[in-house]
Amino acid sequence: MVAIIEKRDLRDFDWLTTFLAVAIACFGIWQIRNALPTESYWTKQIIGLCIALVAFLVIAFSDYRRIIELAPIFYGFGLVLLALVITPLGVEVNGQQAWLKLPVIGQFQPSEFVKIPTVLMLAKYFGARKSGSLSIREILIGGAIMAGPIGLIMLEPDAGQALTYFPIFAAVLFLSAIQIRYVVIVLLAAAIFVPASYIIGVKTGAIKRYQQERINAVLDPESVDPKGYGYHTMQSIITVGKGGLTGIKGDPETSQSVLKFLPEPHTDFIFAVTAENTGFIGCVSLLIAYALLLSRLIAGARSASERPGMLVIMSIATAMVFQIFINVGMALGFLPVIGVPLPLMSAGLSAILSTFIAIGFVVSVKMRRFVN
Amino acid sequence: MKLNEQSQNLGVRIGTIHIIAFILLAILGVRLYYLQVVKGEHYAERAENQRIRHIPIPAPRGVIFDRNGKILVDSRPTWNVVLSNEPIKKIDTSSRVEDYGKGLHLDPSFVVERLELIKKQNEFETLVLKENATIQDIAWVESHSLEFPELRVENQPQRFYPHGTQLAHILGYVGEISPKQLESDEWKDKGLKAGDIIGKGGLEQYYDEFLRGKPGYRKVIVDSRGRVQSEIGVVPAQGGQDMVSTIDLDLQLAAEQQLANSSTKRGTIIAMDPNNGEILAMASLPSFDPNIFVQGSKTPEGRKQIAAYWQDEKRPLFNRAIQGRYPPGSTWKIPESVGALQQGVITVKDSKVLCGGGITIGNKFTRCMGSHGAPPLDFAITHSCDGYYYHLALKMKIEGLIKMIETFDYDKRTGIDLPNEKVSQTPKSWKPIIEKREGRWSDIRTVYASVGQDTVVVTPIAMLRAVASVGMKGKMYTPHFLKEFRAIGAVGEEADLNYIPGREAFGFQHPEPKIIEMTPEQNDLVVKGMWGVVNGGGTGAGIRIPGFEIAGKTGTAQVAELGKDVGANKDHAWFVSFAPAFKPEIAVIALIENSGFGGANAAPAAKGIYEAYMTGKGMAPVNAEVSEGQVPDANPDVRPVRGNANSNANSRAPRAVD
Repeated sequence: MVAIIEKRDLRDFDWLTTFLAVAIACFGIWQIRNALPTESYWTKQIIGLCIALVAFLVIAFSDYRRIIELAPIFYGFGLVLLALVITPLGVEVNGQQAWLKLPVIGQFQPSEFVKIPTVLMLAKYFGARKSGSLSIREILIGGAIMAGPIGLIMLEPDAGQALTYFPIFAAVLFLSAIQIRYVVIVLLAAAIFVPASYIIGVKTGAIKRYQQERINAVLDPESVDPKGYGYHTMQSIITVGKGGLTGIKGDPETSQSVLKFLPEPHTDFIFAVTAENTGFIGCVSLLIAYALLLSRLIAGARSASERPGMLVIMSIATAMVFQIFINVGMALGFLPVIGVPLPLMSAGLSAILSTFIAIGFVVSVKMRRFVN
Repeated sequence: MKLNEQSQNLGVRIGTIHIIAFILLAILGVRLYYLQVVKGEHYAERAENQRIRHIPIPAPRGVIFDRNGKILVDSRPTWNVVLSNEPIKKIDTSSRVEDYGKGLHLDPSFVVERLELIKKQNEFETLVLKENATIQDIAWVESHSLEFPELRVENQPQRFYPHGTQLAHILGYVGEISPKQLESDEWKDKGLKAGDIIGKGGLEQYYDEFLRGKPGYRKVIVDSRGRVQSEIGVVPAQGGQDMVSTIDLDLQLAAEQQLANSSTKRGTIIAMDPNNGEILAMASLPSFDPNIFVQGSKTPEGRKQIAAYWQDEKRPLFNRAIQGRYPPGSTWKIPESVGALQQGVITVKDSKVLCGGGITIGNKFTRCMGSHGAPPLDFAITHSCDGYYYHLALKMKIEGLIKMIETFDYDKRTGIDLPNEKVSQTPKSWKPIIEKREGRWSDIRTVYASVGQDTVVVTPIAMLRAVASVGMKGKMYTPHFLKEFRAIGAVGEEADLNYIPGREAFGFQHPEPKIIEMTPEQNDLVVKGMWGVVNGGGTGAGIRIPGFEIAGKTGTAQVAELGKDVGANKDHAWFVSFAPAFKPEIAVIALIENSGFGGANAAPAAKGIYEAYMTGKGMAPVNAEVSEGQVPDANPDVRPVRGNANSNANSRAPRAVD
């Protein structure tokens, strides 16, 4: 592979983006160890990071345009994987059949990976269009591309993962010259429809009791039944708050995660663990690192030479922002508990691999910014 | 931007997304600042509270000894299986019933009851599921700790009463403080919590604050299911103070034996040192086993037994010595004689009062059981002449009797160091009520009161205290059980936060004896009469012990209403005494309920105590059995007085004999 890498590649390689991503991932490994020091998740994550880096380099040094050409094949393959999840080949964890167990490859979560072919598919379709405002037909075709994976993920059901697809679509439409009036209409409709549907949902019983409890837990975590659905939210808030300015010192044996007060500390609630261990300073540093990473991605999008490359980068950046916000917002107790991993931080091979593949595309796009 | 020309404001749109991303991250930062910096300490405290638990280390209660150092009650280590409600609230307990029942050999319905109870408790509290766990139970709990994290084995010293039903009324028992007590003024500020063991009844209750130790605790870290992860500190417990009581166990057992051998097996015997008020023995029958209260309050069988005690119409929980109020009958004549001498109604030189075989009030004749002419006081005491006292009381008037009642504190508690002592009822308390009800206090009531009937009911302890003071030439001491509380050492270093200072030894704080004013001559005359009761052919002559002169007074008190004097309501037999007559070392009172004549039923019981006392002192064993029977019962023919002067006032026409 080294032979293929030309001098120009190394010059244009985005070292800073790569460094930020690897740094955050290493910070994440430290937090996974803090979460469950006696278990092997953190060592597995190191292996995961190594695998992810290899995949990252392969993608980064590939020509993204050729891959986008092949997007329909990847997209079709992704849908097959998602369909397999809901067959007996799927593995059920915590009531969700979101995992696929295949010989040789082992167990993984297709919904994490299928995001990439979906993004490529959108980039291929919307990147090919000529200038001028977006037509309804184009929006519908884009919607159809999204409907496949979202529909299959909802069958698992994994509402959290499905949710992360929507901002990608929104960003692609927004950047594909959708008329501002549509944006305004959608925003207004959401402002009216979301509260209205909640009220109607509660009245008609479509929103279940436990779902209400989860929402109440966010609105007023102190007053909900601490043993009920508000428990996770409350414990996460306590864990975050306990970290204070600089994090806990000494006795990691008494941390919220080790004593099992904090659920899923190495995955969904890794941010709470970070907050407990590194405090406000550590958390803000992490958020700044994310901000820098996102800025690098968006700068890459601005400098992209073609529409599809720009759309790939912006989709990936948008998806990342959205996941960070949902996951950290949940850990900070102002968003409901939804199982969305924190990019680069949460333990799990599927998550870190797919994130690094996505960043690989970004780097690939940036490397080819001067090529026509 | 190369793409700019290709679409509408692409740069602006990318910039918009960039700004939205930063706004979202900023929102997270603000929320973080609020949770970690503004509220950080609050949440740190909450985290601390949910992971730190204090597991109590129970403090052993003080041991109670008799005056010779024999153990009357102590504590022995037992193991309890306890439920902690923290994990239990999160699980479906219906599945546990069978598991617990099988594993710990418990009745399923009891398990259900306990599970329901613990769910109502506050967070982090525990509830005993099985007391006195066996090795098998403990092994079962330990081996199922993963399956049933809510179960824990705790050490708990348990009170043990080696003498069972004997001493029960003196010692009382211990039990969990009730929710009502916890809120009462008496207990509110003593730092007790639900489940703490306190004294209930007897010395356990009266001296609870000294007998009770201060529990310590283990400070531990628990996980979210309440399982102990590690220990971070220990505050040791401080035991309670050991108490040396005035009880003489040998005399106590003799008293219990005498009651058990009595005809009705109901009554009380008290032995006291008249020189200072130390109680040597106090037995009350029927009795109860305090161990049942201690061990059985959490088992269905134990609760059944406890309920049976409460419902038993023989009232085994009732301490007859201090709570029973009985008409004193002729024992009343002793304080009355002192009163008459004090008030000058009679004098030592001229103490003769007419007996006349009885007295007529209105058209009603109340008879004496003999015809004694006009005997002197000592003769009247020795032979228990009712006629003498009928006339004497009329001379003293009811006011004179009331004065005597006040002199001998019959209108007060004796102040004995036991809870729930009752006050005697006398004409002093009845007179205002009777006068209100009947318009006047009639002479017939004075006559009845003169022989300890009708408006007079006294506690045995009050009677013993009063009569013992006559032996002491007028010094009336406060009866008590406390000799000494022993010291207990401090726990921890003085600089420690958890330092518990030691507690010093202390003895009974003797109040000054009440002085009953009388001249030596007056005193001698009364004592002479009492001496005669046993040693001069009087009503208690059957219990004479050669070489050990007992001064006493018999009493036979009418119980039933007129015409209902059947078997179950036979007279109460009394004997109150001290010995040696002219330099008393011990005073004994015996009351046998519904057994008949005092001389025949109560006096022999008292004699048993004196014999035990002599054996204890190493005096030659005496055999007075021979002399019994030689002296005929002084009152062979006693019948209740019939007739009715006051149609409604006196359904109870009392009579006093011997």
